[in-house]
Amino acid sequence: MNQPVLQVLIVDDEPHARERLERLVGELPHCKVVGLCGTGLEALTRASELQPSVVLLDIRMPGMSGIEAARHLSTLPAAPAVVFTTAYDEYAMEAFDAQAIGYLLKPVRKERLEQALRQAGKLSASQLKLVAAADREVAARQHIAVRVRDELRLIPVKDIQFFRADQKYVNVYHAGGEDLIDASLTELAEEFSAEFSRIHRSTLVSVGHLEAVERDQDGKHFVRIRDRDERLPVGRRQVRELKRLLTLR
Amino acid sequence: MQFVYKQPQMLKSGAISSNHAPDSSVSTPAQPSWRRIAFDPAPQDDFFLPDFCAPRMVLVIVLIVELLALTFALARPGGAEFLTELARISLFMQWLGLTAAAALCYSRRWLARLSVPAAVVTAFALLTINVAVLSEVTFLLGRNLSERGVSGNLFPDSHWTFLLRNVGITTIVTAMLLRYFFVAHQWSLHVRAEARSRIHALQARIRPHFFFNSMNTIASLTRSNPSRAEEAVADLADLFRATMKDSDEPSRMSAELELCRTYLRIEELRLGDRMTVQWRMDESLMLAIVPSLTIQPLLENAIHHGIEPLDGGGTVVVSGKLNGDDVEVTVTNPVTDVTGSYIRPGNRVALENIRERLSLAYGDRGRVEVTEEEGRYTVTLRFPYEE
Repeated sequence: MNQPVLQVLIVDDEPHARERLERLVGELPHCKVVGLCGTGLEALTRASELQPSVVLLDIRMPGMSGIEAARHLSTLPAAPAVVFTTAYDEYAMEAFDAQAIGYLLKPVRKERLEQALRQAGKLSASQLKLVAAADREVAARQHIAVRVRDELRLIPVKDIQFFRADQKYVNVYHAGGEDLIDASLTELAEEFSAEFSRIHRSTLVSVGHLEAVERDQDGKHFVRIRDRDERLPVGRRQVRELKRLLTLR
Repeated sequence: MQFVYKQPQMLKSGAISSNHAPDSSVSTPAQPSWRRIAFDPAPQDDFFLPDFCAPRMVLVIVLIVELLALTFALARPGGAEFLTELARISLFMQWLGLTAAAALCYSRRWLARLSVPAAVVTAFALLTINVAVLSEVTFLLGRNLSERGVSGNLFPDSHWTFLLRNVGITTIVTAMLLRYFFVAHQWSLHVRAEARSRIHALQARIRPHFFFNSMNTIASLTRSNPSRAEEAVADLADLFRATMKDSDEPSRMSAELELCRTYLRIEELRLGDRMTVQWRMDESLMLAIVPSLTIQPLLENAIHHGIEPLDGGGTVVVSGKLNGDDVEVTVTNPVTDVTGSYIRPGNRVALENIRERLSLAYGDRGRVEVTEEEGRYTVTLRFPYEE
């Protein structure tokens, strides 16, 4: 009888869409809207603050997409369940079906909303990675989420200078320092192929932060990164590709 | 005249007022007069024979005939001097070709009324009679001249061989040409039909995202602001009516701009103050004829690619002026940094569609140009001013 109240966070960039969901959720028994957000970034900060049980997340939003926001949300210590909302995203919908991820089509029906909220589950990072890969309209992430103690920190991808693989983990070197993330270099290289280049088996460098390629007396190549002292070794096979990139720039 | 149109804060003020449109003289669109300019690429009739009276066609005939004459001159076994031979054959054949073209030119109107087989047979008969008469005249002229002792060897001496050979050659060449004209005509019909159906298919395209999001907005408004919801439904209906229209009939600039405003009213509901539209339309363009749905898709592109992905929104500028004899309409929007955001496809489709329609309507004078500089993406339409 004493069913716990479902705390719902609504994320959508369109005010009328938020308004409507707020009203519908408010009309459902045992559901309560704890917050409304207009962007993915806002959703991340509010989610760690409010600790909602479910997040209703629009896929298409300016800045951070819903799918990227969900990927970051899944790294929170008390990760909320996520239900995506979309007007029409063919590829994402296919991927959700394949992954058995709940989503709602806008305009949302009240019965479907109730059902989705009741069945909403936590999404795993691997599930979301597959969805992001399938959704051809959404490109790479704009941020990399890092957990520092219990806090979620987002590093803008454009601030990242390079990634270096270190056994099981990957080190992210960025303007604000360095952090450990749980990812594979191969996946990162694939996701950020537009901006990053693999210069070595264990190093992925941001092309935008490259300063120069140097050669020492032994004929070994190194890369210098802007605003950094260290020189990163370049693998023998990657030298030519790197030179091509530098002339293109 | 120049005016700036800032989107009003409708979320706060409630219902849309009718002074919403920046220029009241524009908000009541003049019904475009029924007028078909070159939007339907089909010619006046669908007869397979081309118009032989056209200067270009006459030139083509002369060239074809000369090539044939050259072939015959080359094929002759030695004997007479080559150039004399060529001149002789050319003279006769050019006469033949030009009289045949004249015959077809004048009879085309009657031939077009017949069925295809009947027209083929009649054209055949006409050309055969033409060659027979001309051969006979030539032969008689030659005999006449040689009787008077004027140079005899320029003209044929054997009456029936000459006549039959000419008729034979003409029959074969005519058969080949008629076949060629028929096939070429079928081909061009096919190409035109395909272009038309593609245009219709593209025209009827409304982004599903836009549609469903608008429905969602309306669903929300039905309770919070029923009168706004009602207006939004009417706006959406107008927009759909315009895109569902089956004909590619041009409209007036004022009507096209009204459609743009209808579209913008719906987008404003969704985007709120994230979207600002500035109008710099020259008043003198309002009566200009515009192929319908050429400006609205540009606005849709500008909002879809330039405004929606931007966190803080942005400004779309629509300007139009008369440049010489040409109407020049430009739509600009901020370029979004696509890194990590949406890479939205579909832009090409709309632009290609507009480009195709403008070139169908105005040939080389209808153009679409795209430039990107200083962080703004600009599409320019250019087409001749017509009223």
